[in-house]
Amino acid sequence: MIVVVGVSHKTAPIEVREKLSVGADVLPEVLARLSKRSELKEVMFLSTCNRVEVLADTSSDSGQAALRAIREGLAELVGDSPEHLEGYLYDKSGHDAVRHIFRVAASLDSMVLGEPQILGQVKDAYDAAVAAGTLRNFLGRCVHRAFTVAKRVRTETALGAGTVSISSVAVDLARKIFGDLSDHTVLLVGAGEMAEAAARSLGKGARSIRVCNRSVERAAHLAAQFGGGAAPLDKLEEELLLSDVVVTSTGSRTFVVTREMVKRVMKARRGRTLFFIDIAVPRNVDPEIHTKIDNCYVYNVDDLETEVAFGLKARQNEVAAAEKIVGEELAEFESWARGLNVSPTIVALRAKTKAVLQAELERTLAGRLKHLTEGDRAALQQMMDSSVNKLLHAPTTRLKIAASQEDGADLVRAAVHLFDLPEGPPPEIEKAPRDSPQGADDAHADDDDRLH
Amino acid sequence: MNVYVADALFLAASLAYLAATFLFSRILLGTSRAPAWLGSRLIALGASLQGVHVIVWSLVLHACPVKGIHFPMSVFAVILCVAYLSMRTRYRIDVVGAFVAPLALTSLLASRFVGGGTQMVDQAPRLKSALLPVHVAANLVGIALFSLAFGAATLYLVQEHLLKAKRIEGLFQRLPPLDALDRAEHRFLLAGFPLLTIGILIGTLWARQVEMGGAADILRAAFGYLTWLLIAGVLLLRAAAGWRGRRAAYGTIAGFGFAMLVLILYLLREANPGAHGHVAGMP
Repeated sequence: MIVVVGVSHKTAPIEVREKLSVGADVLPEVLARLSKRSELKEVMFLSTCNRVEVLADTSSDSGQAALRAIREGLAELVGDSPEHLEGYLYDKSGHDAVRHIFRVAASLDSMVLGEPQILGQVKDAYDAAVAAGTLRNFLGRCVHRAFTVAKRVRTETALGAGTVSISSVAVDLARKIFGDLSDHTVLLVGAGEMAEAAARSLGKGARSIRVCNRSVERAAHLAAQFGGGAAPLDKLEEELLLSDVVVTSTGSRTFVVTREMVKRVMKARRGRTLFFIDIAVPRNVDPEIHTKIDNCYVYNVDDLETEVAFGLKARQNEVAAAEKIVGEELAEFESWARGLNVSPTIVALRAKTKAVLQAELERTLAGRLKHLTEGDRAALQQMMDSSVNKLLHAPTTRLKIAASQEDGADLVRAAVHLFDLPEGPPPEIEKAPRDSPQGADDAHADDDDRLH
Repeated sequence: MNVYVADALFLAASLAYLAATFLFSRILLGTSRAPAWLGSRLIALGASLQGVHVIVWSLVLHACPVKGIHFPMSVFAVILCVAYLSMRTRYRIDVVGAFVAPLALTSLLASRFVGGGTQMVDQAPRLKSALLPVHVAANLVGIALFSLAFGAATLYLVQEHLLKAKRIEGLFQRLPPLDALDRAEHRFLLAGFPLLTIGILIGTLWARQVEMGGAADILRAAFGYLTWLLIAGVLLLRAAAGWRGRRAAYGTIAGFGFAMLVLILYLLREANPGAHGHVAGMP
């Protein structure tokens, strides 16, 4: 049974989410720790700006033990007791969990409905789990199916069309503060995918764009695309002096922009307005700057949610179409999952039948028919294979049909009992499909920025 | 005949300002989707009608529009509206009309009804001076600009409060950009300050000439100097110490408050003219 435990922008404020978030560098360790728990057969960890979720497959029928194990694991992660997280965590199991995974991948549960980044982030989490060896047949297939759902939603609906992105909302807000941006400089702190998206939105109207990043090469590469300048992260204070709108999106776990730093900067700026858009989780900008320093404004992803919610109302029809796709794919997945139970039975039935007949054939060929030529022996072998196929065609088909139905398990159990069959091996796991060379590679940059 | 025409113009101008006030209130409250420029057009209509009204009354009474206080109150409203209309597009401050319209209406009504009658203002011979019209004109234009600065500063404080409270829907979206308000407020102060300085210098000179020294005169002068000091302080601190935004807005509002007190004291003096050698009168 698949289970999901997590927090999202709907259930927990950014202060809680940032404590639970896990960077790519420590993800393998976290996965290894979770997978050691006996209740969890497979584990995947999804950590984005707006959600932190543990997806798992459990052998337990009720899933309660697995849910408890994950809650304990998350509490360990933040060094807290599970009770303290209780008010923020949600959990789902079975049918609901699978539906949730599909909806998340299809961006139906995102703050910015229909935004495309979430799929890349789910794929990254999937690849990380495969690499860590914590994802195998069942949960792996489920997440893989979620990629198909996301792709269908994107191609068959207009959910992503005209998306109100965090970047576009931030640009609107910057315009409500500064009016015309043509006299103002935009500073990007971090040079990942979201920084690039922000640069694309803000770059249209701004006087200039500067990029400040731990890796200057990456900063220079991004800045060059927008005709801007680059600087290393240790020159941030100097850069803040020259800038008016600052977009932060680094993967740092501590504040990159501190209150003391901004105090010094504001003195040197002679009080000129400074607007921070902090789209990183954990946050990069000390929130006290907003409350304690005049003419400084700090907005994080949660603050922009209200504005973004308008996009949701405008796309309700598309949501309905997307939910229909989720429903269809969910039904197919569940049918496949039920079929998964019958596959070992069919494989075992065929193997047993073939083994029995093969043994009889070999015994006969070694006795009464030992005078046969190689050609005659091959013909006999072919005849036997063909007979096995014809004989088992009807039972195989009926078992498959039965498996796709709710009560098909009875027939499978009967076949196992009648032929005294063992369980079969699990199917192989697949790699996450990639639509473009972008995505995971960008997201793995040293100053990775993540939304969703 | 001209008196009836003037009355009709007065009424029409009042109604235009009233309509503008009503419209801007609804825009700010979010109960009207009408564009702010519509309110600006109503102010322009009111100012045009009032301008004609001032000219007609000047002809009827054969009076200089910047002598005394009642007639200049009416002129003040026209100057305020003209200043607003000429700057609103440049600074994108249409919504400041929400202050301009009621202030113009109040000034127009005060010019007629506060301490007034229907008689002509007749100054005592000892108060007559060529400096007086310059003093009044400089102060009128200066205070009109400070009124606009006050409107921009007030809206700035509202907008800044909403931004700090992270309430970026509703009213926040209907107000002008924060920096535009701050810039407009500063420019209006900068433009008004030299005029206020001229007004105060001439006023001081004139007061010496006519040997004014009553308690009311001293109080009025004290508020005038305080206004000047406040505005000077706001401008100086902004230039020297980077006092902008909220602090500058508070300073501007305080300065405007004192300027209004001076104006009110003038009006009250007109309402009680005996002690100052004036004859109450109204165009």
